[in-house]
Amino acid sequence: MRRIALLSLIHDRSKLVASIAGVTFAAVLVLLQMGVYAGFLTISSATITHMGGDVWVMPRGTEVLDSVEILSSGTRSAVGAHPCVSDVRPLVFVWSFIRKAGGTRDSVRVVGVERGRGPIMPWELERGLPSDLEGPGRVAVDAFDLGKLQIQGDPIGARLDIGGQRAEIAGITQGVRSFTLLPFVFTNIRDARRMAGLGDGEANYWVVDLKDPACAEQVMGDIQRNPQLMAVRREDFVTMTQNYWIGGSGVGPALGFSALLGLIVGVVVVGQTLYTMTKDYERELATLKALGATSWELVRFVGWQAGFLALIGSTLGSVIAFMTTGAAAAGGLTIVLSSSVMAVGLGAVILMCVAASFMSIRKVLKLQAAEVFK
Amino acid sequence: MTSELSVLLRAWDVRKTFEDGALQVPVLHGVTLSVHAGQLTLLMGPSGSGKTTLISILTGLLRPSSGKVELCGEPISELGDGQVSAVRRRELGFIFQTYNLFPALTARDNVMEVLRLKGMAAGEARKRAEDALGRVGLADRMKHRPGELSGGQKQRVAIARALASKPRVIVGDEVTGALDGQTALSVMEILRDHVTSSSAVLIVTHDHRLERFADRVVELEDGELAADRAPNRHWTSSRFDIRASQDQGKLP
Repeated sequence: MRRIALLSLIHDRSKLVASIAGVTFAAVLVLLQMGVYAGFLTISSATITHMGGDVWVMPRGTEVLDSVEILSSGTRSAVGAHPCVSDVRPLVFVWSFIRKAGGTRDSVRVVGVERGRGPIMPWELERGLPSDLEGPGRVAVDAFDLGKLQIQGDPIGARLDIGGQRAEIAGITQGVRSFTLLPFVFTNIRDARRMAGLGDGEANYWVVDLKDPACAEQVMGDIQRNPQLMAVRREDFVTMTQNYWIGGSGVGPALGFSALLGLIVGVVVVGQTLYTMTKDYERELATLKALGATSWELVRFVGWQAGFLALIGSTLGSVIAFMTTGAAAAGGLTIVLSSSVMAVGLGAVILMCVAASFMSIRKVLKLQAAEVFK
Repeated sequence: MTSELSVLLRAWDVRKTFEDGALQVPVLHGVTLSVHAGQLTLLMGPSGSGKTTLISILTGLLRPSSGKVELCGEPISELGDGQVSAVRRRELGFIFQTYNLFPALTARDNVMEVLRLKGMAAGEARKRAEDALGRVGLADRMKHRPGELSGGQKQRVAIARALASKPRVIVGDEVTGALDGQTALSVMEILRDHVTSSSAVLIVTHDHRLERFADRVVELEDGELAADRAPNRHWTSSRFDIRASQDQGKLP
């Protein structure tokens, strides 16, 4: 039955091409929408992910990474004194203003960390080294933002005015974007505090590394005895931030709707093709039934065709989606096609093909073998 | 007399009424019939006499409104769909007026895939398919698709498909209806050769010229058995033979 089904499908080239195009289109649409969604999730919480740590300490009531308040150095000392804590790292993560070459002002997101403690920041440094940011006023900006910041020529060494402080570009990142599209400016902790107007020893977050992750609950409980503070596991803070931006902004439903639209288009195109093909082969299928094929064997005829279309369409769709990812990155759009995105996306495409074959299967099951004599 | 054991198809008082909403259309009015091994039987009758409905019921493709049908000893009118399919798969071969071949498959694959459907291993099915196509004179057309074959060649592929599984009963519906005289002759000869002491051929036709190949003729009229008779051999001197002979380049 497999051979009959597949050869029949391949025999009619025009229908085959239309069907594969339909599945491919649906697969590309679904994968890209999911990839964009995953990209938004990733960039909205990238700073938390890359900073690492087991527990994040923040002012009570904080909902999202981007809504920041100031924590004193006393908090660091108190948390660091806990026997389960191995290190407490500061993160400065504030809005600031940049004065562009043309005299206009724009907003930027200043990120400052202590070098040599925790993971390397900034991540994805394309030019320069993390140590290059240790000098006074040295910053790193993303290659994509150079135009927006009106920096022309070789950006290394270019002078900037951030938060009224003089700065100089010493590093270039690649693909480090924020969900709000504000340019990231990475610098050392001292200059970050200066640009943000923070005092010595202050920070927006204290990132806690534990000696043993098993004592996270105990540490968080102890920190939260202070009514001003909140302690959250890193992975929970990632989720909080993603939910805030993706859920609150309406981006999630919008992308989900687009992906659903892709699936519906795919169901219609593939369903139409499979149904037409089943109708075209009605006489032959009735012949097989007359010759003793069971209904299940005839359903397999449709199943093999749907499966073949799903396989080819998904493969082509994946290739096109991956190719699109590179082009999108150059345009500043982050598309993340992780293994889980691919698995869910391709699973949806397979389900789409299964759904598309329902009408054909229904027709096959209702087939009257006596039709062979008409 | 034919013994009871040699009856391959049997119908007792078979009635069939089609329903279309409130409208009831009686088509068969109590047909009792036996098809015996070792015989080529023609089922004849005018259009609308119920021939197609009768063979659909005899082969288990339709259920009778009442009455009983046995195919090779199995009471198919009383079995479930799956069991009837299994009996058909094992015992029956079909030949249709419009061939009903898969256009995407070669002649060999059209025969072979049906054998695979019947559970035969690929190697054995291929060999059987090639043998059957050889028997119907299509050894050099095995890799041709139906679209590349003439009407007669397509019908011979359909016959090879029916013969290949060596069924006990072959049922044909107007098997020569679309064929020229010479081709019709060769097709009937192939079917005639299939009739052995353990197998039977039942052909539905309007064409009295086929009687020369038959052992028995059953006539149906208005849903009732009108005659069960010996074939009329005089039909053998009809235009059928003149045309067939002309096709061969000589007069009969």
